[in-house]
Amino acid sequence: MKKKLLPAILLVASLAFALVGCSNPTGATKPVDDGKAQFKSEIKFYGSTTLAPVLSQLSQLSQLSTNFNEHYGTWDKVDSQFEKKDIAIYVSGAGSSAGVKSVIDGVSDFGMASRKVSADEKAKIEGYQEFKLGMDALTISVNPNNNLTKLKDSLTSDEIKKIFSGEFKTWHDVDPSLPATDIVVVTRDIGGGAHEVFQKAIMGDSQIRADVIQAPSMGALVTKIMENENAIGYASYGMVNQNKGKLAPFKVDGIEPSAENILSGTYKISRPLIILKKGTLLPQEKAFMDYVVSNEGIDVIEKLGFVPNK
Amino acid sequence: MNQILEKLVSFLSRLFTALSAILLFLVIIFIARESLQIFREVNFFDFISGISWNPLAREPKAGILPMILGTVYVSIVAILISLPIGIGCALELAALENERLKSFCTSVLGVLAGIPSVIYGFIGLLVVVKFLEKNFLLAAGESILSGGIVLAVMVLPYIVSSAAETMEKSYKQYKEPSLALGVSKSYMLRALILPNAKGAILTAMILAFSRAMGETMAVMMVIGNSPILPQLLGKGETIPALIALEIGTAGLGSLHYHALFSAGFVLMMLLIFLNALLYLIKKNLTENLH
Repeated sequence: MKKKLLPAILLVASLAFALVGCSNPTGATKPVDDGKAQFKSEIKFYGSTTLAPVLSQLSQLSQLSTNFNEHYGTWDKVDSQFEKKDIAIYVSGAGSSAGVKSVIDGVSDFGMASRKVSADEKAKIEGYQEFKLGMDALTISVNPNNNLTKLKDSLTSDEIKKIFSGEFKTWHDVDPSLPATDIVVVTRDIGGGAHEVFQKAIMGDSQIRADVIQAPSMGALVTKIMENENAIGYASYGMVNQNKGKLAPFKVDGIEPSAENILSGTYKISRPLIILKKGTLLPQEKAFMDYVVSNEGIDVIEKLGFVPNK
Repeated sequence: MNQILEKLVSFLSRLFTALSAILLFLVIIFIARESLQIFREVNFFDFISGISWNPLAREPKAGILPMILGTVYVSIVAILISLPIGIGCALELAALENERLKSFCTSVLGVLAGIPSVIYGFIGLLVVVKFLEKNFLLAAGESILSGGIVLAVMVLPYIVSSAAETMEKSYKQYKEPSLALGVSKSYMLRALILPNAKGAILTAMILAFSRAMGETMAVMMVIGNSPILPQLLGKGETIPALIALEIGTAGLGSLHYHALFSAGFVLMMLLIFLNALLYLIKKNLTENLH
């Protein structure tokens, strides 16, 4: 009995190793490690759901023929000094704060954030570096069928604050000529990056009303505004451009959310699109980041409706 | 050689069984460990009976009663809608003589169960929510009712498949005696098959209920996610939706983070309780049969 146990254990052990081997995304092409530091063929991006599509478009195979993977495929084609290994760039969206956290914890290579990184957070990241890709803004948008759009094209910060805090309950409160239908306020999750930007720029210390609809993504927020005539929410500038004519953005304090105003910071509710990194970049990471901030990267950012940093 | 192989297989199967059992306990221990820390700051009773949720405010409040009620409310609405439909469907399937039609219906239900929940959520957002807005004159159609309707469709296959199985067995058993006595088919279904399937229906109900309570994405898309006390035509939030929405932004180790884990712990306890109930009912049923 005892004798048979040993081969059984060995078999289980080998099975376990075989299973571990499967989890390696580079698969069987793993070269023999002869003492040299291994060439890292994967780059992981983690964070903001606003930025994730930008980086996926740039890295993964997509309809754009100018992306990094399709151009090169393996690292040695990017630079002859790199090893011949498949380029593997993983992008996952989980929110700006999660992105910053992942860099602090060292679980991702790059973090994506669509808000400013606080001094506190920077202090926790050794050798903090950031790449500013561009700017996005939150526009105060309603459905184009909302009659308020016919009455005015600008809302003051105070009006917005009253709408979002619940002081104005119906559209009648906003303008006496409108019917007394309930205002449907749509936000992202309170505590997320987008809401933080909005809270700082408009709400200050005021609380948002309790019965807002918390949309699980910016896409869902915009869909809600497009579907509901009584809805108001902070749709991102990029989303407004992608859905031209289906959303009606207001000026805030008379300032239009235009590319110039957003870039110069005159438009109040804007946020930077940042990629952050702990420590120095590996050569292959630098090659990819050079590509991201190149003209092609700017093109993608513009195509997705954001304001690139020129 | 054969003997060794047999020993090996039995050893491996035992090992993996143990592993999966241990996994459950590890999950419970992990969640309990992460969630217990909040009770240093908030009393447990306040946590489950508090009605305001604002863990990020200067004076953080973590009360998850609205979410507990929301979770239960949505699931009850879903069961109320899907149970009559599900039982009717199961009876029909059990009594269906046309084998080809029957296997077609069964596979349709199978496909229904396989549709990803985000698709249900999307359809719910565009169809159910829109419908409620138009016909109930609601400002926003996001409500407990819309969540219940979407969930009802999602749990329907579970109810049908677990009820139909038992009904089919008793249909086969009573078919010939009923025919011999000249009893009509509808009388047989009503007076024999349905009462006989009581236990199976109850099992199906609990199974569907626990499935409904854990559903995240579809519910999150149509329920509005407002942490307020739920009303049928008002917005609400469920525990899975709360966790999915906020865990990504909760600072590691913060009160917010632990509060979300505790909410998950409460949900898990509710589900374990339901499963225990299911087990007891099943045991009772099989004992009664013998």
